[in-house]
Amino acid sequence: MKNLTALITGASEGLGKSFAIECAQLGFNLVLVSLPETGLEFLANYLRRNFGVQVFCMETDLTRNNSDVEIFKLLETNKLRVNVLINNAGIGNWSWFEEKDPDFYRAQIELNVTNTVLLTRSFLSHIDKSEPSYILNVGSLGGHFVVPKKQVYGATKSFIGYFTRCLQLELKSTNVRVSLLSPGGINTKSELLVMNKNLKGFAKATILEADFVAKVAIQGMMKGKKEIIPGFANRLLLTVDKVIPSFWKEILMRRNLKTILSV
Amino acid sequence: MEPVTHKYLKILVTGASGFIGRKLCYSLAEMGFEVIGLCRNVDHPFLLQHRNIQYVEGDILDQQSLDAAMSGCYQVYHTAAMAKLWCRNEQDFFDTNVTGTKNVLNCALRMGVDRVVHTSTCGVWGPTLNLPVSEDDPRAVGFPIDYERTKYLAELEVKTFVKKGLEVVIVNPSRVYGEGPITDSNTVGKMVSGYLSGTWHFIPGKGITAANYAYVEDVVQGHILAMTKGRSGERYILGGEDICFNRFFSTLEQITGTKRKLYRIPIELIKTFSIMESIKSKCFGFQPYFLPEFADRLKFNQRYSSQKAVTELNYQITPFKIGLQKTVDHFQNK
Repeated sequence: MKNLTALITGASEGLGKSFAIECAQLGFNLVLVSLPETGLEFLANYLRRNFGVQVFCMETDLTRNNSDVEIFKLLETNKLRVNVLINNAGIGNWSWFEEKDPDFYRAQIELNVTNTVLLTRSFLSHIDKSEPSYILNVGSLGGHFVVPKKQVYGATKSFIGYFTRCLQLELKSTNVRVSLLSPGGINTKSELLVMNKNLKGFAKATILEADFVAKVAIQGMMKGKKEIIPGFANRLLLTVDKVIPSFWKEILMRRNLKTILSV
Repeated sequence: MEPVTHKYLKILVTGASGFIGRKLCYSLAEMGFEVIGLCRNVDHPFLLQHRNIQYVEGDILDQQSLDAAMSGCYQVYHTAAMAKLWCRNEQDFFDTNVTGTKNVLNCALRMGVDRVVHTSTCGVWGPTLNLPVSEDDPRAVGFPIDYERTKYLAELEVKTFVKKGLEVVIVNPSRVYGEGPITDSNTVGKMVSGYLSGTWHFIPGKGITAANYAYVEDVVQGHILAMTKGRSGERYILGGEDICFNRFFSTLEQITGTKRKLYRIPIELIKTFSIMESIKSKCFGFQPYFLPEFADRLKFNQRYSSQKAVTELNYQITPFKIGLQKTVDHFQNK
C-alpha cells in the first residue's frame, strides 16, 4: 500500500467525496478532479489537515474535448505520478426519454462513457504496468437490469461493465487490477436524500450511505476483486435476477412499470 | 436597567418553548427588546414569563399564523425544530425542519425583515474522523439520522434565500446543556438528573469517545452575537469543550460529591439493544429508548471547534465544570 496516489474524478460531492476521504484515511495521496466552484479546495484542506496526505486539485469540466489529455499533461508539468484511477464522475437521470433535451444526453454520454474510456487510456500509458496499479470504474447495479426512466444512464453503465470486463482480460498479464463497482442507490445529492427516504420495504434496504460504499469499494479494489456489489440486499437482488426465468422477470417489470406510470 | 435603544424594536423568536428558544426570549427581553415568542401552545409550562415577552400561538407550518406573528418584526430568530430522537411519523422531521424553515424565511423575505438567525446544529457535520470539525469542513459520512439529514436540507434552504437577498446567519450549536427542562432532546439533562437520582447506571463503551458540550447561556449569547456581528450566509459553530464520557461522569462525581457505580456497556451490546428497540417501535409504534443509528454514533468522536465564532463574534465559552455545576444546582434546587 506504499506510495499510492489516486486520481478521483467527480470528487467534490457524493460518492467521489467519500472515495477521497476513504483513500486519505488509508494514507493515499490524492489528485482530485471536479467542476469549478464546487468547494474542492475546502475538501482538499480538510484532507491535508486531518490525514496529512498530499492533495492536488484540478477544476475542470470533464465533458470538454481533450480534458483527459489536459489532466495528464497537468500531472506531468507538476511532476505528479498516479497509480490509482477512480472513474467516478457521472451524470444520472430519472426521467422519461423524451423529457430531457439532446444536450443533456450528449453531456451524459460524454462524461459517463467517453471520459471514462479516454482517462483509462491515458492512465495506462502514464503508469508502469509492472508496478501494482489500480483502476476502479463506477458502474451501477442498474447496468445489470432494464430500468425504465434510466434508459441512457443504465446503458452507459452497461457500457462501463462491458468495458471493465474486457480490460480485466486484456490486462491479465500486467500488475494492473481493474475493478467494477456496481452500487445500488446511494444517498448522495439533496434530492436523493429526500426521494430515497420515501422508499419502502426492500427498495429501502438497497439504499446505502456513500461512506459505506466507498469503504467496501476501496477494500475490493485493493484485493483486485472483479466486481464489487456493496450491500447484502443488492447482492441478493442480483442473485435472484440470475435464477428466475426471463418470462417471469418480464411480468414483474411490466407490473413495476405500471406502478411507475401511475405515479 | 433596560437600554433605551432597544425599546420598541420587535423581534420574533420561533420555538419559544424550546431549550434554546425560551432562554433566548428571556435574554432579549432583558435587553429591552419587545419579544414575540411563537409557540404552538401559549400555556406551555416551559415558557418563561417577562413583561417584554408576548407569546403568540402559531405554527411554522401554518403560513397565516406566521404572517401574523412576524408582522412588524425587524429581526427573526428561527430556533424552532423537530429535535427528537424519534417521531412516530418520520415525515414530521422533514415538515418541521425543512418546510418550516422555508416558510419562516419566505415570510421574512416578504415582510422585509432585516436579519434572520437560523439555528442549525453541529449534527450537519456529524462524527469527527480526526481533528475537531470546523465550518468549512465537509460532512464525512452519510445521513442515517433523520434530524441531521433534515437540518442539513434546511441549511440548503437558507442558502437559496441568501441568494434571493435575505440576510441570514446560521449558527450551529453542539450538544447543548444547562438549566432547562428535561426533554427528549436534552440528553445531558437526562444524564445529570439520572445521576443525581441514582437511576443512571452506565457509560457507553469504554467511555473514551468525546462530544462537544455547549452551555446554553453561551449558545443564547452566541445567537445574539451572530445577529449583530455575523456575516450573512456564513455558519458559526457555537460549542464548548470536547469532553469524553469518562470525564463527563468524573466531573459530575466531583461536583456532586456522590460516587455512583457506573457500568461500561460495550457498544455492540447497546447496538443489539437498540435494534430490538427499533423493531419494537416499527412493529408496535412504541417510543424507542435508543436507535441503531445513534448506537453507531457512540463509536465516533463528535468534536467541534468554535474558533470562528470566538474570533468573529467574540463568542465566549463557559468552562465545562462551571457550566455543569450550574446545571447540577438547577436540578438540585428544583
